[in-house]
Amino acid sequence: MTVLGSPNSPELDQLLTASFEAELLEVGGPPLVPAPRHFELAKTLRDDHGFLIFGFVVAVHFPAGQAENAAGSEELLRVIYGLRTRGKGTQLVTWQVNVPTGGAVPTLVPLFAGADWQEREQYDLLGVRFDGHPDLRRLMLAEDWEGHPLRKDYAIDTRVHPWR
Amino acid sequence: MAMTQTSPVTAGWADPYLDIEAYDPEADLMVLNLGPQHPSTHGVFRLKLYLDGEIIVKVVPFAGYLHRGVEKLCEKLTMVQLPPIFDKNDYVSPMMNEQSLVMSFEALLGIEVPRRARYLRTILAELQRIASHLLWLGAFAMDLGGALGGGSTLFLYCFRERELILDLFEELTGGRFHYNTHLIGGNRHDVPVGWDPKVYAALDVIEARLVEYEDFLTRNQIYIDRTRGVGVVDAELAMNLGITGPVLRAAGVDHDLRRDAPYHCYDEIDVRVVTATAGDCEARGTVRLGEMRESIRLVRELLPGLPTGPLGARKPIKTPLAEKASKGHAYACVESPRGELGVYTIGGGDNKGASPYRLKIRSPSLHVLSCLPYVLPGQSVSDAVAVLGSLDPIMGEVDR
Repeated sequence: MTVLGSPNSPELDQLLTASFEAELLEVGGPPLVPAPRHFELAKTLRDDHGFLIFGFVVAVHFPAGQAENAAGSEELLRVIYGLRTRGKGTQLVTWQVNVPTGGAVPTLVPLFAGADWQEREQYDLLGVRFDGHPDLRRLMLAEDWEGHPLRKDYAIDTRVHPWR
Repeated sequence: MAMTQTSPVTAGWADPYLDIEAYDPEADLMVLNLGPQHPSTHGVFRLKLYLDGEIIVKVVPFAGYLHRGVEKLCEKLTMVQLPPIFDKNDYVSPMMNEQSLVMSFEALLGIEVPRRARYLRTILAELQRIASHLLWLGAFAMDLGGALGGGSTLFLYCFRERELILDLFEELTGGRFHYNTHLIGGNRHDVPVGWDPKVYAALDVIEARLVEYEDFLTRNQIYIDRTRGVGVVDAELAMNLGITGPVLRAAGVDHDLRRDAPYHCYDEIDVRVVTATAGDCEARGTVRLGEMRESIRLVRELLPGLPTGPLGARKPIKTPLAEKASKGHAYACVESPRGELGVYTIGGGDNKGASPYRLKIRSPSLHVLSCLPYVLPGQSVSDAVAVLGSLDPIMGEVDR
């Protein structure tokens, strides 16, 4: 289950690269899919490849100047999605999407109802916007909370408003 | 009525995004806040119920009352320091939490765990599953208004049996709830002398009493009336929401990571997956009772065959900075009593790589709770309590 490159099976990586312009990364984890193709990819995986069980959404923040930041020195947000097949020999597929600067990632809620709370949590903690999400509110923190705590620039060792 | 249906599961389910302003203006709607401090919410969880009479029209759940920022903490502490923190996520099955965490780190660091440690982890996981399901059974009986055996009889019975397992864990690890027994690459505490007979004795007691509890439930008309056909979650809705574990298996999906994606030593033994078809509260109870029996059988099969050898892949780690990971991604998941508990780790964070750069916990309880807006509308308030209890959410794990 370890990954330095992609955690997917070679057949899935072949599908992702051949049909969805995914880019395989050497050390950066799952294949990187361009944001416009991301929704279509999830639909294909669900309808044609049996990835019926919704897995997880993980957003990661790379502040400006980080080495693994593929976009150079600019600040980068990246979202990792995972889906799973059911039953014996269950498989996991994961892929990554870069959040366009100042933009949003297309939501998966029209495909997977489970994406609703997961995307809300990532919006809450990292400030990733999901385009087309029907109810993008904070999930964990209070509505009047300022900032997104899982961003790397959110200090935890100094008192930051609104700690209470 | 203006419907803002954007959800993929439309057939037969309530619309979670129902515009309550556009609901029948003749109706006399009432808003009822269930929680956050309510015994039936198993922690701090709030449901905003829109009621038409006693029938629920819309449900808006609010989580986060127990949010402790564990994921941020994981980016600041080192990997070696983290297993005791994870005990507190799902405080009803801490063993599974530690296991999912150390498995993720082992995958990231490429560490092979010795066979004895893998066996011991399996045994601990199955014992923990029994304890966790026992607590669910007792709490569920309380949720049904003490209908089972009068007052809190079954609740106290179940705690009595759970105590037997906690005593075993205490003898092994020194802790009753927070064990801190898993290390990256092995286990900390070896089986003490004379532990095995105590395990068998405890299992015998629990097995005999499970028969009694099953009679409590299946021969009790009140239990059947309160659970049969209530809170049905079907296979399509469950999978679409990412629900795993007993709730998914009660809906008829034969999916169990112990058999389907074996970890520890589950590939060396035959795990019989318990399923039911109805998907209602009664089916979820049947599945959990069956899983307790299956866990008892697995422990009896595993414990005599505990292999000899080292418990850890290396010498015990002395300093928090001892384990450093390069940039990499790893996902490891276990079948916890509530479903697929996964930890997604990205390595190479603070403290020169000794901390994870980002760590995400895929908690099964969060997915299970997200079915409430689909399932509850159309049912009465008292059924809402029964449904919530049958889902077995642990708020420490939902909010993290």
